[in-house]
Amino acid sequence: MSAIDTGLAGIPSAPRQTIWQLRRKRFLRNKPAVIALAILVTLTALCVLAYPYSLLMGLDPNETNLLMRFRPPTATHWLGTDSLGRDVLLRLMYGGQVSIAVGVLGTLLTALIGILIGVWAGFLGGKVDAFLMRLTDVVIALPMTPVLIVLGAVDLSKLGLSQALASSPGVVFLRIVVIIALVDWTTIARITRAATIEVRQREYVKAATVSGARHLYNVLVHVLPNITTPITVAATLSVGRIILFESTLSFLGFGIVPPTPSWGNMLTNAQELIISAPALAVYPGLLIFLTVISVNFVGDGIRIAFDPRSEK
Amino acid sequence: MNALVEVDNLNLHFPIDDGFFKEKLTLRALTDVSFSVEEDETLAIVGESGSGKTTLGYTISGLLTPTSGRIKFGAALGGHSQKRPVQLVFQDPFSALDPRMMVGDIVAEPLRLQGVSRAERLQQADDVLEQVGLPAESARRYPHEFSGGQRQRIAIARALIAKPKLIVADEPLSALDVSIQSQILNLLNKIKRDRTISYLFISHDLGVVHHLADRVIVLYLGRIMEIASRQDLFATPSHPYTQALLESVPRIGRGRRKPGQALKGEIPTPLSPPPGCVFHTRCPRAQEVCRRQIPELLPAPGRPEQLSACHFKD
Amino acid sequence: MLRYTFFRLVQAAFVLLVMTFLLFMLIGMMPGDPVENMLEGNPALTPELARQMRELYGVGVPLPVRYWHWLTAAFQGDFGFSSLYFRPVLEILGPALLQTLKLMVATIVLSIPLSLLLGAIAALRPGGWMDTAISFFAFASISLPNFWLSLILIIVFAVQFGWLPASGTPLADNPSLGLQIYHSILPVTVLTMFFVGPLLRYVRASMIETMSSDYIRTARAKGLSETTVIVKHALRNALIPMVTVLALGFGMLFSGALVVETIFGILGMGKMIFDAIRYVDFNLALIGLLLATIVTLVSNLLADLAYAWLDPRITLK
Ligand SMILES: Nc1ncnc2c1ncn2[C@@H]1O[C@H](COP(=O)(O)OP(=O)(O)O)[C@@H](O)[C@H]1O
Ligand code: SF4
Ligand SMILES: [Mg+2]
Repeated sequence: MSAIDTGLAGIPSAPRQTIWQLRRKRFLRNKPAVIALAILVTLTALCVLAYPYSLLMGLDPNETNLLMRFRPPTATHWLGTDSLGRDVLLRLMYGGQVSIAVGVLGTLLTALIGILIGVWAGFLGGKVDAFLMRLTDVVIALPMTPVLIVLGAVDLSKLGLSQALASSPGVVFLRIVVIIALVDWTTIARITRAATIEVRQREYVKAATVSGARHLYNVLVHVLPNITTPITVAATLSVGRIILFESTLSFLGFGIVPPTPSWGNMLTNAQELIISAPALAVYPGLLIFLTVISVNFVGDGIRIAFDPRSEK
Repeated sequence: MNALVEVDNLNLHFPIDDGFFKEKLTLRALTDVSFSVEEDETLAIVGESGSGKTTLGYTISGLLTPTSGRIKFGAALGGHSQKRPVQLVFQDPFSALDPRMMVGDIVAEPLRLQGVSRAERLQQADDVLEQVGLPAESARRYPHEFSGGQRQRIAIARALIAKPKLIVADEPLSALDVSIQSQILNLLNKIKRDRTISYLFISHDLGVVHHLADRVIVLYLGRIMEIASRQDLFATPSHPYTQALLESVPRIGRGRRKPGQALKGEIPTPLSPPPGCVFHTRCPRAQEVCRRQIPELLPAPGRPEQLSACHFKD
Repeated sequence: MLRYTFFRLVQAAFVLLVMTFLLFMLIGMMPGDPVENMLEGNPALTPELARQMRELYGVGVPLPVRYWHWLTAAFQGDFGFSSLYFRPVLEILGPALLQTLKLMVATIVLSIPLSLLLGAIAALRPGGWMDTAISFFAFASISLPNFWLSLILIIVFAVQFGWLPASGTPLADNPSLGLQIYHSILPVTVLTMFFVGPLLRYVRASMIETMSSDYIRTARAKGLSETTVIVKHALRNALIPMVTVLALGFGMLFSGALVVETIFGILGMGKMIFDAIRYVDFNLALIGLLLATIVTLVSNLLADLAYAWLDPRITLK
């Protein structure tokens, strides 16, 4: 050691709580958020169990049975059957898989597009930034629902896909994810850009640049790890929004198409049956509502846990 | 003496645009700046806030591209392979360190960018940390666990690890407590004793400059007002601006002093610097000629090493 | 400011132009033959005219050229005929837009006082039980699928109790205002429920900020009653920037209204656009979507201008 006074008294002997431990603690103190998280986990688990459940009960989500229409709840059909004699609970479970998967995948894609555009604009600045932000303005100025519906109505076979492929469930599912991401990336892009501009001018980025770091290095090593907080919060909130988009689209007939169940398209049918079978209109919507409100509470909890100053 | 860096007629203008209907404005941050940094010397840059000190430091480090003029890394490097053997130490020790990286990785980053293997560079990081007076185990901590002074040591360690020829230190003490300032100052002096290195030491504190500099450049509105050795500058300041600066620090200012020489008024905006001598709006000695003609940076009478840009210099 | 306004207007016009092209392309990719879709419904369609049109828009004609023909016609006020209704599209969309705007105005008129009231109550004691309840309500508002809420309200109030009509459009030929309002209760309730959440969150946040500001403390110190302080000072302060929030929310509300209309069978923009897309009515869909874009653009423009107007820093830029 050198002879000069180093003023080391302040160095702790063991690492203090990491920032993540602190955040977890703050999140766990937030009761609504914890309850919401529990609900989400339960709902997801239930949906994931659809297949084992169908085996256990000997049910098929898509097999119609006209002799079994509109049955009240029984020991085999816990929530009864729908207008085609299919088990409502099982279809809700499968529909949930679709809705949650669209929410999660859509958010991932939205975040990917948003982060790429936001980081690109924020890091390079200048003309690139101006162009990308005008593009963002344009997308924000679009009327959301109608645009989603036009995109949903596009005949994929006119884009060169074969008719069979275009209407296969996998492609229909991916198409929903893609079109929602195409209109929803703006929020994350704006947040990412603002955060990137903030981090870009920090001095550790300058130090790296002086040592020979290129843009890509700075973005990957310094910028991205330091903007995870606002992106995580924005992404969580976008899960709820995307689930709502998907259900609206499917409800209107431009999203997931029957016989594949989704919470949205189960309501399309129920709409015509509100007099004879009102219960069919209750469950899917209730599940959408429960899922989205839980996601929003969890998102709010994450926001507060990540940035205690925002708690007001 | 051997010039390490030669700065020749450097100009740096920031274009300022006014929204979309561009009224192109130019902010002249540096105008006609020429000087050299010698090998193994400490060259101080002083000037009020906004005079262009940071811009100058960034330009020499390569962070900003000059509008015109040249920066040449010269003969003293002796065929050194590094393009620009410069490192930076910043004013704010908090935003200088990436909070998501461990200290060892922060210090070793310049080597990482040179392609040195992780084991090798972390080993070197431990050594450098020790040289700046931090225990090697600091390497496995995160920046938020350290105090301001300790962080500044980490930043200095990062600057040292790539064995630079020049460290640009941009007000490295001004964010620190006074008691810590002297520790960091001592550390910088110690480093200087141990190796051949030059400092471009940016400061607005003449007291610190007096303590550490070999030569001093006085900057005002992006122009050099005076360049002199420390002794000359503090004993016989030539430029009215330098004299006014020293006036405000009576403890060290031993120069000729006339009453009423202290600075008055505000520094004008670099968006439209005054014509002629940029200092004339605040200069107690200003004459008609000062408003029209830009004074050249020339030796003071009888002191060939002391350059000053004034029509009526001492 | 004037410059900024001008710039934003130019920008909006440009966006609209780009949108005409994008929508022209997208709608062309809906199922069916776009040219036949475009021509159908025009009562003046003689074989000769049809031949001319096919020449302008037909299979061999490249897309940009087709678009150009459409654009020049549109600039001359020719927006084509609806193949669903056999009438010029503007004749259909004019009343539809009016219908949708009525729905939205009613919602806004209800939402503003409601959000001010709820936001103010919540801000009185942040963290108290009233605040918690109102916050929960706000979360519910942004999480409710509005088409589902519509169904539930119909089931409860129209089917079960029979108190309110399930249809948003009165059957009578010239319905009285009262009748119109009666039929609008459910749809407007749904939209208000949907719109009030974001608004009240905003009011609450801005009230809390104002209530802790120096000038409210001064007002209190002057001995003014708490009600006076809240109503005269804090609320009024929260109200001014709310213009911006309202304008921004307008686009969202418009999208919401489109969905709600389809459920209540209201002959507004939403119903027109959805039917047009569902039954591939090229001209109706295109112009309907463009009108929707204009509405959203204008509200965003107003939001930005209001913001620039209220926040002097922006104008300096
Ligand atoms: N990136 C930039 N864009 C525009 N103007 C700048 C920029 N950086 C610095 N300036 C301006 O250049 C002048 C010199 O700034 P700076 O070099 O930071 O001065 P100092 O470090 O001496 O306080 C100031 O007027 C400052 O506002
Ligand atoms: S040139 Fe004139 S104005 Fe400038 S410093 Fe000298 S005396 Fe003052
Ligand atoms: Mg500076």
